[in-house]
Amino acid sequence: MRTAFFKAIELLFSGNAQLLNIITVTLKMGLSSSVLALLIGTPLGILLGCYPFRSRQLLVIMNRTLMGLPPVVCGLICYMLFSGVGPLRHLKLLYTVKGMIIAQVILITPLIIGNLESFVSAISPQIRETAAGLGLSKGITILLIMNESRYQILSAYLFGLGRAFAEVGAISMVGGAIAYKTNVMTTAIMNYSNMGDFSLALALGIILFGISLCLNTIAAAIHWRLNQ
Amino acid sequence: MKINPFTKTYKKTTVLSFPGITLKRGTIYTVIGANGSGKSTFARILSGTLTPDRKEAVFSSPPASAGYMPQKSFAFRMSVLNNVLLNGSRVSASERAKAAELLNSVGLTALAEHNGCQLSGGETARLALARLLMKPYELLILDEPTASLDIASTLQAEQLIRQYCKNENACIILITHNLKQAQRISDQILFFKSGSLADYGEPDSLLNCPQNPALREFVEFYSL
Repeated sequence: MRTAFFKAIELLFSGNAQLLNIITVTLKMGLSSSVLALLIGTPLGILLGCYPFRSRQLLVIMNRTLMGLPPVVCGLICYMLFSGVGPLRHLKLLYTVKGMIIAQVILITPLIIGNLESFVSAISPQIRETAAGLGLSKGITILLIMNESRYQILSAYLFGLGRAFAEVGAISMVGGAIAYKTNVMTTAIMNYSNMGDFSLALALGIILFGISLCLNTIAAAIHWRLNQ
Repeated sequence: MKINPFTKTYKKTTVLSFPGITLKRGTIYTVIGANGSGKSTFARILSGTLTPDRKEAVFSSPPASAGYMPQKSFAFRMSVLNNVLLNGSRVSASERAKAAELLNSVGLTALAEHNGCQLSGGETARLALARLLMKPYELLILDEPTASLDIASTLQAEQLIRQYCKNENACIILITHNLKQAQRISDQILFFKSGSLADYGEPDSLLNCPQNPALREFVEFYSL
């Protein structure tokens, strides 16, 4: 463990090109997919939790089912869609970071929707009743619900980001863990572990943990700032 | 303003059967009754947040504007002043002055810049009342607005409601469990029993010598 820790520091300051590429791809893939999932998931989660409507319960059940979608199944579906015989082969997304981002968005969006839906459905009846009592429009009511949910949106984003960084099954199938192209921290850790280089794998794990810690600290600072 | 007869049923149980009544502007109607007698259902149906069984019009001559303060007061995650201004027509100097005056009337001036979600239950209720009184409504429905207030704040709120009724010539429907409050503030009292209007009339005649046995029992119990 100690060796791995020093190796992690040594690796970070060595300017190793492959490591820098792995970190860059990890950040690009994790941040892009989580932001895209947030942009898609936030309005859907809030609308799903805001007003009761016919087939709402069906949509909630479908989303909850998607929340439990195994990453390898998602990876397999994306692989089949993007592969040379798949319907989306002309997009040339297989073994690319873009393809990995799409797989991640499919995995993370239901988590963000579910997270926000359960929060909003709990707070919205009281807000709707208060807003209706004041004669406020539906649009303003939705904006007020969004305002009340801002910490939950941040929390849902962090949840999605954590999932994006930790994911390995789908992205290894879609990305192929190609060095200097689609290799990210988790797939690299898996590769080094398979090669028996446990200290390097653990060192990468420590760096991944450090990146996650930095991002969560920034988010906590934003949360604290918003609360003032 | 004429309220048509209506009923409200949940799972084959009629929780409210209202015979209809004509309301006058510039009058405070207090609705009293035990828990589960249908008071809040009545308030929610009048406010439009709940629909009666047959989705026909509750009012034959509906009020031009109606405001409603639910039983559970809610303060939005923004400053206390902005919470009140939320119900203003547009944020102008006169609106800000009116909001500041209302906050002063409910004793919340010192908390004007505090976040609404940091207020206590009583402060939230006072904020909700001030916010509602920002606009001139023809009909105002207040569901236990003073339930979480101490006696000083309750008297302050009553004064404010009475003043609003007079200034805006509004019809006010106030729901309460507090018989003394009903006696202090009402022009008319409606007594609900098991989901129906059991009796109504002026406070003195109704509460001092109740003819209705259910009301007599209610008055004796609550006067203990």
